[in-house]
Amino acid sequence: MEITLTHYLLLAGAVFMTGMVGFIVRRNAIVMLMCVELMLCSVNIVFAAFSRVHGDGGGHVFVLMNFAVAAAEAAIGLALLVEIYRRRRTVNVDDLKSLME
Amino acid sequence: MEVILFWFCGILMLFGALMTVIQRNAVVSAVWLIFAFVCAAGIFALLSAPFLAIMQILVYAGAIMVLFIFVIMMLQGPVLEDEKRSINKGLYPLIAVPPLAIIASVIGWVSNNGTQPLGDAPAEGFGTAEMVSRLLLGKYLLAFEMISIVLLVAIIGALAIAQGERKLPWK
Repeated sequence: MEITLTHYLLLAGAVFMTGMVGFIVRRNAIVMLMCVELMLCSVNIVFAAFSRVHGDGGGHVFVLMNFAVAAAEAAIGLALLVEIYRRRRTVNVDDLKSLME
Repeated sequence: MEVILFWFCGILMLFGALMTVIQRNAVVSAVWLIFAFVCAAGIFALLSAPFLAIMQILVYAGAIMVLFIFVIMMLQGPVLEDEKRSINKGLYPLIAVPPLAIIASVIGWVSNNGTQPLGDAPAEGFGTAEMVSRLLLGKYLLAFEMISIVLLVAIIGALAIAQGERKLPWK
């Protein structure tokens, strides 16, 4: 059996779905950030797969952009979590609903 | 060979992603996430993108995950504990509904329209550091400059946020 573009897209979709479900289910803010990284990574696979199909390197450039955005997002998100932890002594999102109340 | 490698990397990546979500301990989650990222590097290599495969391991499995694990270690204690409260357990099966619906529709679409082949092998030198850097510093130079500004803003923002209430030089 030949591996086609559809296989790669389905793999990326499954990983994206796993990350999305994790983001909804988990209550630990750090693990939620990790699930976001998982979703970004699955998008990278789609970029690389279409780049391979069209024989155009543009997709690779966008994957590198995505790396930089993911790094920036992780740095800012974790800095926010450190600051939240310093004030509230928790990173459980169930305990962080002062905006809601 | 390509078929075996695809299923090997793909199934292991999905397994790593699932374990990331399932594990209750944040450090164990992080280690499984590194595992999933290394498998993703294998997928990149299969897609004739060797440069991306190396960057995936360097940037994701290396730099970003080290940042995560550092923060988990810094905030040790409550972070490592199990999540006590959570959403209503009865709602858990409902979460599976949208993924299953999407998977079912995709399977239906594939069985109707067939799969799209990857096409011929790409040209010599496709996906190497040389090709990517020629594009990055040529056609996509503006995007490259913009992403460096994004990173600069992220560095300054992270520093300013993490400093907290302590005395800032401009106060």
